[in-house]
Amino acid sequence: MRRAIVTTTATAAGVVLLLSLKPHGSASAAGAPVISSGSGSSSGTAASTGGQPNGTASSPATGSSSGSAGSTGSTAPTAGSSGSSASGAKSGTFTGQAADTRYGPVQVQLVVSGGKISNVNVLQYPNESQRDININSYALPTLNQEVLSQQNAQIDMVSGATYTSNGYLQSLQSALDSAGIK
Amino acid sequence: MATATQQRGTQARRAHASRPGGGALPVDTVARAALAAIAFGALIVIGIWWKNTLGIVGTDQWLTNAGRITGLLAGYAAPVLLLLMARIPLLEREIGSDRLARWHAMGGRYMVGLVTAHVLSVIWGYSMTDHTNVVGEGVTMVLTFPDMVKAAIGTVLLFATGIFSARAARRKLSYDTWYYLHLATYLAIALGFEHQLTNGADLGSGIGRLFWYALYVGTAGVLGWFRLLRPYLQDRRHQLRVAEVRPEGAGTVSLFLTGRYLDELGAEAGQFFRLQFLAPGLRFAANPYSLSAPPTAEYLRFTIKDLGGHSAAVAHLKPGTKVRAEGPYGAFTARRRRSRQVLLLAAGVGITPLRALFETLPARPGELTLLYRASREEDVLFHRELVAIAQSRGARLQFLVGPRSEVGDPLEPSTLNRLVPGLARHDVFLCGPDPMMESAVAALTAAGVPRRNIHHESFSF
Repeated sequence: MRRAIVTTTATAAGVVLLLSLKPHGSASAAGAPVISSGSGSSSGTAASTGGQPNGTASSPATGSSSGSAGSTGSTAPTAGSSGSSASGAKSGTFTGQAADTRYGPVQVQLVVSGGKISNVNVLQYPNESQRDININSYALPTLNQEVLSQQNAQIDMVSGATYTSNGYLQSLQSALDSAGIK
Repeated sequence: MATATQQRGTQARRAHASRPGGGALPVDTVARAALAAIAFGALIVIGIWWKNTLGIVGTDQWLTNAGRITGLLAGYAAPVLLLLMARIPLLEREIGSDRLARWHAMGGRYMVGLVTAHVLSVIWGYSMTDHTNVVGEGVTMVLTFPDMVKAAIGTVLLFATGIFSARAARRKLSYDTWYYLHLATYLAIALGFEHQLTNGADLGSGIGRLFWYALYVGTAGVLGWFRLLRPYLQDRRHQLRVAEVRPEGAGTVSLFLTGRYLDELGAEAGQFFRLQFLAPGLRFAANPYSLSAPPTAEYLRFTIKDLGGHSAAVAHLKPGTKVRAEGPYGAFTARRRRSRQVLLLAAGVGITPLRALFETLPARPGELTLLYRASREEDVLFHRELVAIAQSRGARLQFLVGPRSEVGDPLEPSTLNRLVPGLARHDVFLCGPDPMMESAVAALTAAGVPRRNIHHESFSF
């Protein structure tokens, strides 16, 4: 019995010690890296944005274009996009409206070439808590891959990441709309 | 995970689990190395968590991360506990089945505690993050998170086994019921495996996942080899059968097993086998019984006292019955010896392994002493054999038969010193019922025998 008490106390103390050694400031201060479907690079800042300035997660969640200022796109047909529509099929970068979820906004950006989605970047996603980061670090790449293979918004939700999936779908739809992809 | 039995033929070898310093046997190299390896693995697990954790913001994250740490440790403990029971020959020989079983039992209780902490803190932490109530969050997690239904079933199985394995409850169960419940933990661990990878932030990819797979697949391989395949091959090779069941008096029988290539078994005096008799009602239980004579190329002899259940049915075995034998196991052999002079101290049916050691333990005339305590004349086993061995080896043999008032308490330091001159310079091999073992260790220590020179093997858990 004494051993049980000692062991329990020691374990609890060890866990608390470990936890207390970790920083307790806001983890989201630095902003989360863009989660991109492109070639495993998650740095995102330079990720194939076709003349798009860095879409950082610290951009305001108003759903306004993060690409309009300083955009090198020749035409700007809709908010949050920069692309060309040469020969009917659009190319360029299209940023969806940020969709608010219970845990924070989700914003999807599509890189389209010749009417095909070639890359998906998630500019904003819930990352305030470690758990959000945990969930989204597997959910978002999954969703990105689904978009690339389906080429539309008919994708499955990721179980365990319902809220993120919903926000993702909303923002994706708005990006698809601006890219003119049905 | 049959750690030990309640109906073993060598019940006498038990010592009480709650004996202070239950692990106070001489700590040897292999035991230390094993414990160090286990601790090192735990550090790696903590390291994986540490590397994957940025920061902890808010109470919910404290709880969730406490859940992650305890969950990781529980997931690490499960294969480690199985490995302790995998009957790895090196561990069985150097650490001893009794100590392994004790570690397994302690670790098992600890793991149930870790799982409890993991479940409670993760659900609580998540519910705080989600601003939902704890019950609703728990239900959501089980039903919607990947592989969580399986994990929940596994957890329930684990808790059920924990409850049934608790010492008090186990006494009310038959050994066989307890045994099968214990087997359910294999299922519980298998059910709980996937949710660790799919929900665990630390095991989804990279080194954590690799480590986890190596640990679980490796454990499964080791178990499969040492617990299933090797015993099966050993059975096929040796084809053990009951040759004779010989009454020894006072509800005790000796069991002679024959088979092929028995010398290849490499059994030593003082060791035991787990025997499973392919007879009605006995088929499924494998109980440990000590060799009561040095093994020969022709036969193995076990001596078993009727204590009900398995051990009672043994008396009615028919010659020719097939026997499945796992072993030899046990570190209670001549290897433990450190001094020239050796005292064997037996009480009751505890004579069985000591009878074998009395014949084979290397000693020159005068170096070996056997003290054999029995409360009644008819409880004395192997009387003629022991006398013959003593004569041929020049060993000292002393029977202490009768009530204490007549023969004196052999478990008093003064009595022991009188009976065994120069006792402090002896190695002592000890075997008897629980209370006897406890007081004997105390008396021997008081008489000046260093604790590390007192050898016994116990099957408490």
